[in-house]
Amino acid sequence: MTVATLPIERPAGRLRQLVASGIGPILAVVLAIIVGGVVVLVSGSNPITAYQQMLVGAVGSPFDISETFISSIPLILAAYAVSFAFRCGLFNIGAEGQLYMGAIASTWLATTFPNWPGIVLIIVCIVAAMVAGGAWAGIAGWLKAKTGAHEVITTMMLSYVAIDISHWLLEAGPMTPSNAYGTPESGPIPPQAAFPIILPSWILPNARLNASLFLTILAGVVFAWILWRTPLGYEIRAVGFNPKAAAYGGINVARRLVIAMVIAGAFAGLAGMVPVWVQMRLYDSFSPGYGYEAIAVALVGRNSAIGIFLAGLLYGAMIHGAVAMQANANISGFLVQILQALVLFFVGAEMLIRWLLRRGGLRALVEAPA
Amino acid sequence: MRTLRVGFAVAITASILFGACSSAATTAPSAAAPASAAAPASAAPAPASAAPASAPAASQAAVASPGASAAASCVAANPNFKVGLVTDVGGLNDKSFNHLAYLGLQQAQCQLGATVDVIQSSEQSQYVPNLTTFAQKGDNLVIAVGFLMANAVYTVAKQYPNVHFAAIDTAPADAKGNTVNLPNVANLFFHEQESGYTVGYLAGLMEKDKVGAATSNTISYMGGLAIPPVDRYIAGYIAGAKAADPGITILGGYSQSFTDQTIGKSIGLNHISRGSTILFQVAGASGLGYLQAAVDKGVYGIGVDADQNYVAPATIITSAIKKVDVAVFLTIQGLMNGQFKGGDNEFTLQNNATGFAPPNSVVPADIVAQVQQIADQIKSGAIVPPTTIPK
Repeated sequence: MTVATLPIERPAGRLRQLVASGIGPILAVVLAIIVGGVVVLVSGSNPITAYQQMLVGAVGSPFDISETFISSIPLILAAYAVSFAFRCGLFNIGAEGQLYMGAIASTWLATTFPNWPGIVLIIVCIVAAMVAGGAWAGIAGWLKAKTGAHEVITTMMLSYVAIDISHWLLEAGPMTPSNAYGTPESGPIPPQAAFPIILPSWILPNARLNASLFLTILAGVVFAWILWRTPLGYEIRAVGFNPKAAAYGGINVARRLVIAMVIAGAFAGLAGMVPVWVQMRLYDSFSPGYGYEAIAVALVGRNSAIGIFLAGLLYGAMIHGAVAMQANANISGFLVQILQALVLFFVGAEMLIRWLLRRGGLRALVEAPA
Repeated sequence: MRTLRVGFAVAITASILFGACSSAATTAPSAAAPASAAAPASAAPAPASAAPASAPAASQAAVASPGASAAASCVAANPNFKVGLVTDVGGLNDKSFNHLAYLGLQQAQCQLGATVDVIQSSEQSQYVPNLTTFAQKGDNLVIAVGFLMANAVYTVAKQYPNVHFAAIDTAPADAKGNTVNLPNVANLFFHEQESGYTVGYLAGLMEKDKVGAATSNTISYMGGLAIPPVDRYIAGYIAGAKAADPGITILGGYSQSFTDQTIGKSIGLNHISRGSTILFQVAGASGLGYLQAAVDKGVYGIGVDADQNYVAPATIITSAIKKVDVAVFLTIQGLMNGQFKGGDNEFTLQNNATGFAPPNSVVPADIVAQVQQIADQIKSGAIVPPTTIPK
């Protein structure tokens, strides 16, 4: 092995690595679509029509593309929260609670100081959402580091606490405005603090897709940068790979656990703020379970920044595509939940995919490091 | 590590698959529910047909035709009259508004020939795009279910002034949360207090006459959240019970949930242990837990919104009715006949959208007759049930 051969070999290896890590999820999606089609067929509808409507409904017009992004963004951000903790060997299944805390903190600030200038208010709100989500996740990280309490239990239980805090605040509670007519909701987010709409009105009048998309891309860059380009990221991955070896190598494992959870929670906090800034108001039970769906997105995206972004877009496209499928093809929206479950099932059934690939003579792909 | 990761993935997959399966499984009972709901509905309007022949009463007759014969007498489809229904995140199987609105839609499809479509919202941020989808398709009427859509309806109805909208249990609200009536949005409100009053009166008479298990002179209620539609039911219930039996004790509470059956049941057991022998629920699925407590302890329960007797035929003596299906049907019919009315549309005992479900055999015929008299007095305006709970 000489220095000269390295530049030639590396890109090829990288490409193969990329293909190898992507092939599993892609095959899982294909298998899920086939099995889902059978489900549609058995239930007495035409699967081709269903998928056609879903595809057109997801990306068929500027309006649909915009809405697909809106459905995807919270999932992507929350999946970063799941995945970042996972890189440190932590199962952060409480992203739901962390995103609730992010939503509550940012909404509280925005509704309490409605007269601040927009640019100040929105930056303060973003920071507040990240701090609140991070602090909430940090509790679980600290408990893990200090007492060994398992983060699956603590993050889950803290989720219930966060969600119930939001119920208390919003259901005729301290954050409910007096003119809410009984609707469990917060006051409006001041219009000057809105994210700027990024689709010009000549493409799509009344578009809702806002600059939170750039924030999401930035979050993905930060995610990858911390993990792969900083000493902290190296240590976090080392702890995730083998905490005992990391400790032996001189890494303060307890501290890394807490930091990883705090950073993960910050992503989740952001995930909570974004949907509120679409609705411009925090409604009770605003999350349909972004934090839980995010676990699936993280798995399908294989814990990589780009993978998660693509997986999130896929899930968002399915969610929004289901609207047209219901309205035009008269097929139940539950098909989408079945599809999402099937994708996850086939991603989980890694062995099955590997076996299929091996049968197909694609041994080289299978053996490349995932 | 690897096995742990795969194991975790499989566990999550299993739980999500299970979730999908269980929600698919709930489809089956709801398909059966319309049949059971249709039977009492066809029986209920018997007294109503005695009401003076007015426009609402005439349309009521159409609404009340039994499910079986209605299925046989569907009119030819009218592909040019399109109605879209957007559910809230509760979905079609909530056995409450969304489900009832869907029944009204199906009725319009059959009896008016309307072309109908449904979108089930899977997240709150979808309300605007979902309403927009139907408006863009050029639907004549777009129905928004539930009070969380107030702002979404306002936003979309402003953008599509030529499309008609109906908002169930709410009115359009601007970004600041202030109600703004729009000429192309019908706000469908119900006089829940009338339904509450009639079942409260029935409960009061049961306790006064010490019928069956109702011997403690104590009744109770459980709401989901203290929001106006729930509190109107409860206000009527309290007033009706006191009118029938001034010395009655009324216990009450909220489950703070429309879904949690466990909390509902524990509140029910608490009320029963404090002497309640008739339990009235206004808490959706959480209230089913409340009624289950009545079943377990051998006391009586009162259902809400739909006739819930099918939940426990011996226990559920009656239900406070809120016929969202009637309101939806009448609104569609009104638009077809050029009688669409923007702003508040009130649905009351007058148009048979509120009232009480036919009591079960536990309730003596003379009590039923007395409650029917009270319902007639509400209809004539002689009794006006309160809309707020006395402090």
